[in-house]
Amino acid sequence: MFLTRSEYDRGVNTFSPEGRLFQVEYAIEAIKLGSTAIGICTSEGVVLAVEKRITSSLMVPSTVEKIVEVDKHIGCATSGLMADARTLIERARVECQNHWFVYNERMSIESCAQAVSALAIQFGDSGDGGSAMSRPFGVAILFAGIEEGKPQLWHMDPSGTYIRYGAKAIGSGSEGAQQNLQDNYTAEMSLNDAIVLALNTLKQVMEDKINSTNVEVMTMTSEKLFRMHTKEEVEQIISDLA
Amino acid sequence: MYAGHQVIPQQFWSNGPAPGQFYNFTGGYNGLATGSANQCKEYTTPGLFGTQHSSSPITTGTSVVGIKFDGGVMIAADNLVSYGSLARYQDVQRVFKVNNKTIMGAGGDFADFQSLKRSIDQKIVEDLCHGDDLEMKPKSLYNWLTRVFYNRRSRFNPLWLEMVVGGLDNGEPFLGHVDLRGRAYEDDVVATGFGKHLALPLVREQLVEGKKLTQEQASDVLRKCMEVLYYRDCRSMPKYSVVVCTKDGSVVQGPFNVNENWQLATMVKGY
Amino acid sequence: MNFMGIEQFPDYKVPGTQHQDFSPYESNGGSIVAIAGDDYVVIAADTRLSSGYTIHTRKQNKLFQLSGKTVLGSTGCWCDTLALTALVKARMQMYEHTHLKTMSTDAIAQMLSIIMYNKRFFPYYVSNVLAGLDNEGKGVVYSYDPIGHCERATYRAGGSAGALLQPVLDNQIGFKNMQLDGEIPKVSKDRAVAIATDTFISAAERDIYTGDAVCINIITKDGIEVKEVQLRKD
Repeated sequence: MFLTRSEYDRGVNTFSPEGRLFQVEYAIEAIKLGSTAIGICTSEGVVLAVEKRITSSLMVPSTVEKIVEVDKHIGCATSGLMADARTLIERARVECQNHWFVYNERMSIESCAQAVSALAIQFGDSGDGGSAMSRPFGVAILFAGIEEGKPQLWHMDPSGTYIRYGAKAIGSGSEGAQQNLQDNYTAEMSLNDAIVLALNTLKQVMEDKINSTNVEVMTMTSEKLFRMHTKEEVEQIISDLA
Repeated sequence: MYAGHQVIPQQFWSNGPAPGQFYNFTGGYNGLATGSANQCKEYTTPGLFGTQHSSSPITTGTSVVGIKFDGGVMIAADNLVSYGSLARYQDVQRVFKVNNKTIMGAGGDFADFQSLKRSIDQKIVEDLCHGDDLEMKPKSLYNWLTRVFYNRRSRFNPLWLEMVVGGLDNGEPFLGHVDLRGRAYEDDVVATGFGKHLALPLVREQLVEGKKLTQEQASDVLRKCMEVLYYRDCRSMPKYSVVVCTKDGSVVQGPFNVNENWQLATMVKGY
Repeated sequence: MNFMGIEQFPDYKVPGTQHQDFSPYESNGGSIVAIAGDDYVVIAADTRLSSGYTIHTRKQNKLFQLSGKTVLGSTGCWCDTLALTALVKARMQMYEHTHLKTMSTDAIAQMLSIIMYNKRFFPYYVSNVLAGLDNEGKGVVYSYDPIGHCERATYRAGGSAGALLQPVLDNQIGFKNMQLDGEIPKVSKDRAVAIATDTFISAAERDIYTGDAVCINIITKDGIEVKEVQLRKD
């Protein structure tokens, strides 16, 4: 399998005879090495829950930042290469502020995802700018946001494709997690049920035992917008799980 | 931060049109180009001793008058190009057929007009080469001229012209006026220079609200206008041409001579 | 240094030609009045286009319908008005394509301010009044100076007779300097149209750059109604 690929998987500008861009596909594979992140959209709000891999007891867990605020009304969870994620998040933030500056309104979630996607597919585009990224970004992003009072969840992968979801899992445990979400998600579920479902799903797919230091939870609601849950709150939810 | 975001977020598929940038006359887009190598050459490229900006017209044409009538448009101008007070060139066309649905007339610096006309002629040749029966409509020429003039005035290097554009746009008579700043408007009757003061009232006298002039009436009132202009405008001559656009196409008519009558002159006293 | 200029060849100087200094700006006159109510907004502009004592045309519409609920009135240097409104329309189309929705009045208001400020050192010499319905369906008026200062108001006069008309509106719409018992009365749509028309009739008496006719756009949730009233034409 790898032999047939090898001739066409070097350059990001070359399609294989079957019409595939292997570097993009590899980048999508790279995300499956990343930590698991889950997003669930309900009518009350969106919840994002991520696993943080604490590889050493000497690490300071709070410095592993997998959920970030892009604007008051948009939060992102990332999985994959964290350094790449920083670049994309920076673009998302600038686009949101620019939109607010020019139009005096909050940027829509889709537009934000679109703007990030435009950067994500710039790889190999060494036009007059010259300094484009030479490879695809190895990152998948979940966008959780509020638009006109209604919550939305969007997902973007390294190919730059962005799609709206009811519930979505990315990262190493995504296959199992997505199956679990599919079985248990309903659009009518409450935000609290969604938080429980998200953490339950994480618990099933995580290698380490789930605790309040190796997961992060964020909720996006029309009332409170971006809100990270404190360590105590997460602990409470986890203890209620079992 | 990424370049140019304060105007428009720059897309990676750049080199496209850039709204808000000045329309670049000689083609290409100068808006998003950063290096000087990408800069398109301006119509008047800086020469050995720097750039010359025109601050006054040299050889000039005087008034142009245009009228809409039932089923078409006509534009008239005399055949003189002056050099200051000298009646320098006395057999020059200042009204033109652009194609079968577009006509135009020019007043102001004639050299500017000639250089501009080369570009318009080139557009017509391109239209013909396509051979698809798609021709430049008067509104397109009018709008293009507006952008060109506005672009040049914004660079403090105006094309010192006042132009009248007319024709049939989708069968409807169209008549517009554009000046050196890119100020443009449409009306049933337009004039440039002295024509604005002397010809417009004469034509408006003939216009009855809600009723169109016939081609003959329009032709008669234009003759009257050219006559009055000849009497009172020192930079005019008695010979004029008319270009007419109807559904049958555009034709340049003339030159005609105005009815000169100086018998009254002996009775004018007091100077 | 003019090595090649006509200055170097005195023999070729023509006594008849007048050396004119080129100014990129020109005042083409025109006035705007806009009045906002709870569920409507009225914007009116005259139709005269002139420079100095010359009237170019008596039927130049100066109201630009940007969307189903936003109208921009723009007067001043007409060539700048044309360039500015064309740019605003292009930017609105681009917004519609990227964000898949029509721009709200407030978004247009902010964008217009930024477009104008972008030319801070070679400004669009125009007086803009933007009228529309906001996201709640309430009437709003935004007014601008040539370099992009933007102010939200409920009524505003702008353009060549702006200073003449504003005090009239202050009195008739804002009920300024009046003995009122209690609240400021609400102005009905018909009353707003009548006041706007009357202010233009008055302005045409005193301002030579205002006259010929007044074009009135009445914006409600049902759409934009257009009216024209004739003014004096001298």
